[in-house]
Amino acid sequence: MCDFGELGTWLCAEGTWTGQYGLGNLLVEHLLLTVVALIVAALIAIPLGMFIGHTGRGSFVVIGLGSLSRAIPTMGLLFALVLLLGVQFRELSVVLALALIALPPLIAGAYSGVTTIAPGIRDSATAQGMTTWQLVRHVELPLASPSLIGGFRIAFIQVVSTVVLAPLVGLGGLGFGIIQGLALRNFAQVTVSAVIIIVITIAGEQLIGLGQRRAEARLVAPKGLEKP
Amino acid sequence: MEWFIANASFVGGLAATHLSISVGPIIIGSLLAILLARVIPRRFVNPARTVLGAIYAIPSLALFVALPALLGTSYIGPTNVVIALTLYVITSMYFSARDAFSQVPLATMTTSRALGMNSRQLFVHVELPLAVPGLIAGLRVASASTISIATIGAVVGVRDLGYLFLDGFQRKIPEEIISGIVAVCVIALALDAGLWLIGRLMTPWRNARVNRV
Repeated sequence: MCDFGELGTWLCAEGTWTGQYGLGNLLVEHLLLTVVALIVAALIAIPLGMFIGHTGRGSFVVIGLGSLSRAIPTMGLLFALVLLLGVQFRELSVVLALALIALPPLIAGAYSGVTTIAPGIRDSATAQGMTTWQLVRHVELPLASPSLIGGFRIAFIQVVSTVVLAPLVGLGGLGFGIIQGLALRNFAQVTVSAVIIIVITIAGEQLIGLGQRRAEARLVAPKGLEKP
Repeated sequence: MEWFIANASFVGGLAATHLSISVGPIIIGSLLAILLARVIPRRFVNPARTVLGAIYAIPSLALFVALPALLGTSYIGPTNVVIALTLYVITSMYFSARDAFSQVPLATMTTSRALGMNSRQLFVHVELPLAVPGLIAGLRVASASTISIATIGAVVGVRDLGYLFLDGFQRKIPEEIISGIVAVCVIALALDAGLWLIGRLMTPWRNARVNRV
C-alpha cells in the first residue's frame, strides 16, 4: 500500500519540484510534446480529411487507416522511429511518432464530419451561389466541427498515453517519475506521478468533451425555428 | 527478417504470454460491459458515460502503476496489467453494447412481447441475436486495441511482445522492434478475422440468399 510517510518525504525532498527533472519542468515538457504533436497532426489531418470527405476520393484510405492504426502498438512505433532516425534527433522523432499516432483519428473525425452533412444542405449552399471555398469555410467546417472535435479527443487520448513513454527514449515528461521511480523502487514518486498524469489527462479529455458539446449545441436550431 | 528467423522461438514464447494476458480481459471485460449496458438505468446513463469516458482516457502506464496504491497489488508483474486491460475493454465495449442493443427495432421487440415471450426469452432469443453485429463490431475494436496496449505491460515487467521494444531499443536492433510491431499486428488481425467469422456464423440470416420467384 501507499505509505504516507514515504510520500511526504518525497514530496518535501529537494529536486521534487524544481530543477531539470523537477515536476514543474516535466509538466511543461509533457504538455509541450502533446500540444506540438497535436498541432502538427491537425495541420495535415484536418485539410486532408475534409478534402477526402468533400470530394469522396480516397475514402478507402480513411477506413483502412482507422483499423490498422488500432492494431499498431504505439510504443513500438515510438521506439522504432527514435532508433531509425538516430538518438541525436530524438525530440524530432518523438514529435513525429506522436503526430503519426494522432493522424488517423483526426482524419477520420474530419472525414466523417463532412460526409455526414445532409446532401440537401450542400446543394442549397451551391444553389445560393457559394463558391467551393465558401461552401467549405461557411458550411462544411461549422457543420463538421462536433465530429472534428470528437476526432481530436481520441487523438489527444492516444498521444498522451504515448507521451508517458517518452522517458524510455531519453526525453522528459511526467512519465519520467514513473520510469525512474520503478527503477529506483521509489513507489511514492511512481504514485504521485501517475496521479498527476491521470488528473491532467482527464481534465484535458473533459475540456475537449465540453468543446464538443458546445459545438453540437451551436448547431441545434433555436426554439421555434425547427421544422415548419 | 534474419533477426526474426534466428529468434523465432523466443518471439513465439513472448507471443504466448502476450495472448495469455490479453484474451482474459477481452472476454471478461466484454461480458461485464454487456451486463453494465443492460443494468444501468436510463437516468444514470450520462454519469456512466462520463466516468467510463474518463477511465478510457487514462494513459495505460499511469493506470498500471496507480492500481497498486488502490488495490495493494505488487507494482511489477501481470496483475495490474490484466486489471487495467479489463477496465479498458469495459469502457470501450460499454458504448458499443449500448448502441448494439438500441439498434434492435422496437417493432420486433413489441411483436415478440405480443407473442407471449417473457423478458428472459426476449433477451436470449431476440435482443441478443439481433445485437450480435454491433457487439462483434465493438469487440473487434476492443480486441485490437487490447493486443496493442498490452505491449506497454513490458514496462512493468511483463515479458510479452512489448519486451522486444525495450530490448531492441537498448541493444539498438531495429529489426527486433519491427518484429515486435509485426507480431502484434499479426495477432490483432488474426483475432479480428476470427471475430468477423464468428459474427458471420452467429447471424446466418444476414448472408442467407433471398430467392425471388
